[in-house]
Amino acid sequence: MKKIERKDFLKVAGGAVAGGIVGTTVSFAPFDGLQWLVEWTQDQYRPEGGEEKFRQGVCPACGTNISVRMIGDRAVKVETSNAGCSVCQTLIQQLYHPERIQRPLKRVGGKGSGRFAPVDWNEAVQDIANKIKELRAQNKAQAVAAINGSGNAAANALVERLCAAIGSGHVYNEASLDELASAAVRVSQNADGALEYDFENASYVVSFGARLFEGWGNQARMHRVLNTWKANNTTFVQIDALATRTASLASKWVPVKPGSEIFLAMGIAYKLIMNYGKGGNLPELARWNGLNDFAPDKVSELTGVPAEKIDEIAREFANAPRAVAVAGRGGKMVSSSVAEILAVQCLNKLTGRMGVPGGVFVKAKSNRLGAVAQDAVARAGLQATRKAKGIDDFIKNGEKPELLFINEANPVFTSVYGLDLANKLKEIPMVVAIATLRNDTAALADYILPATTILEVKTSRGDAVVAPRFFAKNAADIVLAIAKAVEGVAQSFPWSGHADVANLIGADRRPLASFTLNLDVLRNGLEGVQKRMESTLPLALIPYEIPLVGNGSSLALPYVLKGIGREDYAFERMRVLVNPETARTLGVGENSTVKIRSSRGKTCRVNVHLSKTVAPNTVAVAMGFGHRDHTKYGSDKGANPLEIMTADIDSESGVADWWYTRVNLS
Amino acid sequence: MNTFTECIKNEWNSFSKNTKIALAVLSALVFFFVVFAIQILFWGLGYTDMNNTFAMGLWIIGDLGFVALGGGAFFTGFMLYIFRVEKLEPLINSTVLIGFMCYLFTFILLVFDIGQPLRAWFGYTYPNWGPNLVPQSMLTEVVWCLTLYFLVLCVELIPIPLKHKVLDKIPVLHYIGHYLHRLMWIMAAVGTFLSFFHQGSLGGGMWDVLYGKPGWWRAHHQFFFLAIVGATAGGTCFMIMVPKIAERIMKKEVAPKESFWTLARISGVMFIFYFLFRVYDVYTMAVRYVPIADRRFIDLLGGYYGLWVLALELLLCLVPIAILNVKKLREQEKFLFGAVICGVAAIVFSKIGVVLNGFSIPNFPWREFAAYNPTIQEWGIMLGSIATMILIYWGFAAYLPLFPHLHKEEHHR
Amino acid sequence: MMTVRWGMSIDLDKCTGCGACQVACMQENNMPIFEEDSDIPKRVTFLDLMKVTNDYERGKNYGEVQVAFVPKMCMQCSGNDPQNPHPPCVSVCPVVATDVGEDGVVSQIWSRCIGCRYCQAACPYEARVFNWWKPRYESDFKKGLNPDVSVASRGTVVKCTFCSHIWKRERDKAIAQGEKDINKVTYTPACVSACPTGAIVFGDLNNPNSPVYETRLKNDPRAVRMVHSIDHQPEDERQRRLRIKEFPNPKVYYLSSQKWLRDIISGFQNS
Repeated sequence: MKKIERKDFLKVAGGAVAGGIVGTTVSFAPFDGLQWLVEWTQDQYRPEGGEEKFRQGVCPACGTNISVRMIGDRAVKVETSNAGCSVCQTLIQQLYHPERIQRPLKRVGGKGSGRFAPVDWNEAVQDIANKIKELRAQNKAQAVAAINGSGNAAANALVERLCAAIGSGHVYNEASLDELASAAVRVSQNADGALEYDFENASYVVSFGARLFEGWGNQARMHRVLNTWKANNTTFVQIDALATRTASLASKWVPVKPGSEIFLAMGIAYKLIMNYGKGGNLPELARWNGLNDFAPDKVSELTGVPAEKIDEIAREFANAPRAVAVAGRGGKMVSSSVAEILAVQCLNKLTGRMGVPGGVFVKAKSNRLGAVAQDAVARAGLQATRKAKGIDDFIKNGEKPELLFINEANPVFTSVYGLDLANKLKEIPMVVAIATLRNDTAALADYILPATTILEVKTSRGDAVVAPRFFAKNAADIVLAIAKAVEGVAQSFPWSGHADVANLIGADRRPLASFTLNLDVLRNGLEGVQKRMESTLPLALIPYEIPLVGNGSSLALPYVLKGIGREDYAFERMRVLVNPETARTLGVGENSTVKIRSSRGKTCRVNVHLSKTVAPNTVAVAMGFGHRDHTKYGSDKGANPLEIMTADIDSESGVADWWYTRVNLS
Repeated sequence: MNTFTECIKNEWNSFSKNTKIALAVLSALVFFFVVFAIQILFWGLGYTDMNNTFAMGLWIIGDLGFVALGGGAFFTGFMLYIFRVEKLEPLINSTVLIGFMCYLFTFILLVFDIGQPLRAWFGYTYPNWGPNLVPQSMLTEVVWCLTLYFLVLCVELIPIPLKHKVLDKIPVLHYIGHYLHRLMWIMAAVGTFLSFFHQGSLGGGMWDVLYGKPGWWRAHHQFFFLAIVGATAGGTCFMIMVPKIAERIMKKEVAPKESFWTLARISGVMFIFYFLFRVYDVYTMAVRYVPIADRRFIDLLGGYYGLWVLALELLLCLVPIAILNVKKLREQEKFLFGAVICGVAAIVFSKIGVVLNGFSIPNFPWREFAAYNPTIQEWGIMLGSIATMILIYWGFAAYLPLFPHLHKEEHHR
Repeated sequence: MMTVRWGMSIDLDKCTGCGACQVACMQENNMPIFEEDSDIPKRVTFLDLMKVTNDYERGKNYGEVQVAFVPKMCMQCSGNDPQNPHPPCVSVCPVVATDVGEDGVVSQIWSRCIGCRYCQAACPYEARVFNWWKPRYESDFKKGLNPDVSVASRGTVVKCTFCSHIWKRERDKAIAQGEKDINKVTYTPACVSACPTGAIVFGDLNNPNSPVYETRLKNDPRAVRMVHSIDHQPEDERQRRLRIKEFPNPKVYYLSSQKWLRDIISGFQNS
């Protein structure tokens, strides 16, 4: 028995070996298999070589001159020579994003289905032009509307001009620092323009929640300002409800209760008037009997800032040779009320810091495009336009347009009424989005028109670094093409391309010193915040930003994702900051999974990160996450807190002041 | 052919129910080993819970444990062939087999552990020899010593199957087996030399040279020598434990009691050395080596694998010391078995401590202790390796003359 | 013969945490691109911008707590004797995949590495990263890859090399222009040239005219080195310790006017 077993075993084994040898000599399969295995594990992509050269350009986000390293016709690196913003370094990733919109896309599925098919440029432009003609033929020019982003000034000006020529006043801008400041300037200084602070010459700066070095304003300029302040020993006081990097870079950080910045501004104004004799500069405030509500002890109760501290800031502010107070809470995403900006501006007015070196100026847009030719239809349309105050007002209360342009903007994501807008878009007959990458808003459009990225734009320093890829066009050229396809409108658009238009657009700094305080706006604003503080929900929700992520438009770029730290988003979960004391009372700990709940709804699951950088009874949450549709890299990562944040629309700016929301964790 | 399958069928039917269950479980583990092996080799180490902070994990603990415990083979061989402790003769086959398998699976686990298994041969072609051919990298030394010692073990192992009554009848094989056996003392000497080095380097030297890491660094290769002593102590325990388990399963005496007692006595003495050395090691770490990096030893023993692993290791060491060194106790079956299990566990826990605690220590003051939770792939490959080893040992014990004592008894009957 | 020893100093008072250095590094060094890159311990990136606060370790409460960002790349350690450098990670490599150059830069040959990760275990700064997954570059992202840095295979260790490929590029250009002295070749790593506030500066530690002249940095009360508390011991104690063991002796200096930040970066001495 055993013998047979051995024999059989040897037979089988011998057969296997012999078969293997024969098989190997006859067939290459084993070699191929091995070769494949080697390639599988050791395969390296070899980047193509080519001639190295450097091409010059400008980053429009910050105005920095950039030099792009080219290998052959590939752009591989952006050199900024110790300048620039966080956008500059991501330009290559924007340029070569695999999900770039390559050619005009037309919706093929149902409304809002997000399914598109490519179409020819002419077909798309004609179809859109026909829609405009149709509306004008029906005398419904005011049914055209547009939402502008903040990236391309020339395109924005042309969109505004296009709507004016068609006969609609419905042009709105995505909320931004400049947009809010413009509303305040309109109310108090009767001018058209945003605020500009002369940081370079200031000796004492008080910032009311403006996170100056985390994406606020022109990031490249603020970086230079930081060095200037270090060199000049400028005193910088940061008032904020969160220990941000800006607060730590400041000479002094004044922690306040979330949302109470406006009260602190009033408290300082009170001291300036009562103790430092500055009332003469702003008699309407000095005479206002409501001012007595802002005596230091009362403000101290409202803001949590000790009365001595308020006095100290007021004294320093009054005595500093070139002091300036800065309004506009946030980084790249700013949220504030006109009342709050006015309250801060009062400090500048009281100390005579308006329109003087080291003070505050008005940055007025200069537009040399000339007058728009308007026909009867257009005039009638403009007459019939019931313009909303601002974008959120338009989304919530505005008339439903029949043709909506979305010019490199993503209001579905960046507005607190984003979800309402998403529903509304489904009912608008034609939505045209101009975008480089598919985003939350463009996905719901009827047409997506491919825009160029920054490196494909011709600049003042010469030709574009890279020729426009695919069938992309500059947003300004797209608007020009549409305008030229509509008779009666075309004559207002004589330019051949975006570069011609860009030369006619600019902004100048104007020393506007006149300032009239609208006490009603101020009073309403103060009451609004007070009411919000009385909510029964136990926690305050405040936002923060990761400079690289900003408002979330760069979340589709993998190198941005790679730069997000473990405190903010880790293991596919967004993390929110909670003070350890508060966490104890809520019964949550490090990495607990919670949902944030406000009166408007709740977020998806987020994880708790315990940190004393945030005040007790406060939750701090990063902005820019929670895209629903923003390429496969940017989608479905974390929660977009705007969906649950306060949505009270400011009566002057028409934009919701979402900065401070009462919430609970569950 | 039919008779062959029939033969297997008969064999299977002859097993008891428990044996069948055990075989099924072990085979299932081997199956998972194969599945996860394909996954890891083809799709990479992303499927493990190792990461850039916790660069090594379960498999390295396995390597360290296998080599240290398998190191009992070199020490037993050394005692038998060089010191001529003839009473160990009945255990030597089992010892050599365990050593062989431990080393084999150390290699196998290392292949999984390195990111580029197809470049594994770089260790031989581009070794990091420093000046004067002194290996500069502890791993270079480990790779070479392991390989050479593995070859020695192969030579030592060959005579065992050749002694099978079927194979022994073939004259060529008989003579090969015979002469190899006579060469055994040379093999033992070479093996001892090689094993001495890589025991020290893999178990200790590899870690104590990492001068940037205060949790590992020690001067004068102190941990290197400690690991050698640890391997002799724990390895000998392992060489008792495994045949003892076989004995319990087979319900037959696999080797004379005196053989076990002799090895137990040696082990007991080695454990005294090991314990004293380890206490000295902990002491020097606490007062000299850790403070020099401005950290406190007790601070390094935080996290999930800190103080309790060290305390447990030292406590487990005391059991074999107390039992194996007392004649009355070690000659009682239950005490002996318990003591060798504790001895083996002590060495395993020392390896767990080295790897897990060492990697979990935060490198920056603002970081917490790291945690490591092996994935199913890591467990599958680890447990699959152990299951394969058990099956091989089983096969040898059941079908080959692993325990000459058994056959002697058969003859006597 | 190179006399240059490249080094870096990072002024944390000027660092806003904007992340430009990180992205510049990723772009220059062809970091792999993943859809989901939030498994941070397995992330492949050479420059880690670490957020540091003083709330836990220093027990500060809300109101006094501070936040700082610490960019951390390879410290290019040299061991006790910079003339005969012995970084913790180089001697441990079993296959000579890593070496330290005459200029003190620790290099890594990615195609030689077998992925044993022993160097990762040896590195006290977590500067070495392993390609746990196969590096991926989806379609057009390949167009942005830098041909000077080879793309690594899965299962190999990669690291920051102070962008020494840029040095090679500059060296070749200088030689083509007739420069004979190799020590005159200067260059700027990607993170340094990207830093918008100029917080990161780079140069020759041996050169008194360089912004990172080591003798000056060593006497700068604002300067500390990462987890290197031996720098702050009295001289005789320092010498005693140096006789007993090697210390990493990194070539990156961190400058800060904040004591808590210097303390926390320089190590565990107050723990």
